[in-house]
Amino acid sequence: MSKLSVGIVNYGVGNLTSVRHCLQDLDFRCRVSDDTAVLAGCDLLLLPGVGAFPLAMKALQVRGLDRFLIEQSAEGRPLLGICLGMQLLTDASHEGGLTRGLGLIPGEVVSLGQGRWHIGWNTVEKVSASPLFDLDGSESFYFNHSYVYCGADEYQLCRTAFDGDFASVIGSGKTVGMQFHPEKSQLSGHRLLQQIVRRLCDA
Amino acid sequence: MLKKRLIGVITVKAGVAVQSFGYSRYLPLGSPECLAENLDRWGVDEILVLCIDRSRSGHGPDLALLRRLGALGLSTPLSYGGGVHTVAEAAQAIQAGAERLCLDAVLHADPGAVRDMAALLGSQALVAALPMAMRNGEAWHYAYLQGSLLRHTEETNRLFDDGTVSEALLIDAVHEGQRNAFDAELVRRFPRPATPLIVFGGISEPAQIGTLLAQSEVVAVAVGNSLNYSEHAVQNLKQQVQSPSLRPAIYMGGR
Repeated sequence: MSKLSVGIVNYGVGNLTSVRHCLQDLDFRCRVSDDTAVLAGCDLLLLPGVGAFPLAMKALQVRGLDRFLIEQSAEGRPLLGICLGMQLLTDASHEGGLTRGLGLIPGEVVSLGQGRWHIGWNTVEKVSASPLFDLDGSESFYFNHSYVYCGADEYQLCRTAFDGDFASVIGSGKTVGMQFHPEKSQLSGHRLLQQIVRRLCDA
Repeated sequence: MLKKRLIGVITVKAGVAVQSFGYSRYLPLGSPECLAENLDRWGVDEILVLCIDRSRSGHGPDLALLRRLGALGLSTPLSYGGGVHTVAEAAQAIQAGAERLCLDAVLHADPGAVRDMAALLGSQALVAALPMAMRNGEAWHYAYLQGSLLRHTEETNRLFDDGTVSEALLIDAVHEGQRNAFDAELVRRFPRPATPLIVFGGISEPAQIGTLLAQSEVVAVAVGNSLNYSEHAVQNLKQQVQSPSLRPAIYMGGR
């Protein structure tokens, strides 16, 4: 059986090396590119990201990758967003003013509150019947963010407790976003990432 | 529940990992990559690489080291400090492999650049590194480039007030490199009491770590030298600390 291929969308933001290494360790073939022809040939598209939402969205637009991702999603291509990449999948973010997102998962991104960050390791509780992954709620994952998803329950696959709680995995069809960094979450993260990539491609 | 972190610190001077004693004496330990691989395998919560000669020498961040570390495929979050003075350097350091940046000299020399970094990278990526020492009952900033103690300026404090930086790395500049010597008074006297603190310098003992983690402002304890003495040092230390606020030790050796 040939290896599944993951196209890591390179839009000039953040650290792509970690996620590429992680996916290769998990026996996936990786292509890191901003070339839509290269990315279109992959089984799954992964949207990483570190930084501020408005600049990241602009970086996607400048490269024409926003339209490409929307088209790919409409055609049923599995799409996975990590951290800021997850937030970009939504309708909009309030970070630094209101900026439109890709609109692939209904909902918006809002601040945790002035001067509040969620940084470190926290557990993730599955709150949906999604067949894309299994979690028993005991494993911790690495988070580093100050904005969170706000949207309808039907798009929330997991939640995480933090002065109340917030959606830590969201999804709509074959598009899924994780607020944490699975590639930096040691064994727990690697297991989850492997499961989600495989099951999204099989779905 | 969000866990507090045990951070493994790798101090690097002239490209070599060193054991530091008060940032004045150093013993070579070897390759930073080897130490990073060990910490990653032992399941530390975060790795912090501090290149202590980059600002002094004006060389900028050690991007080559970051790329070598990135090439290891570490599965642990990596923070980096040393020589980051401009927005371009900050972006390069993140792209080279760091998740977060510890900023020191630039906090005082160019706070505007720090704000620009936050606009580009997000404040969650920025940590203010503050070497400090007690003097006459007050916590002072140790400006290592000048070799003198200075009062904290309002301009620097505003970086905390307006959320430009997300955490502070509070370094006990006097006791760094000593066992069980961190001055906890520095935490109580930190100029902005609500700031999430990573404490570092003179921290080695399980009981000391447990006491520091019990303080609400302390979100992480950073340990340097003492993690390099034995195999599985992270797991052993976590087991001895026995703090429910820490994530249980994970061993990555079976990858």
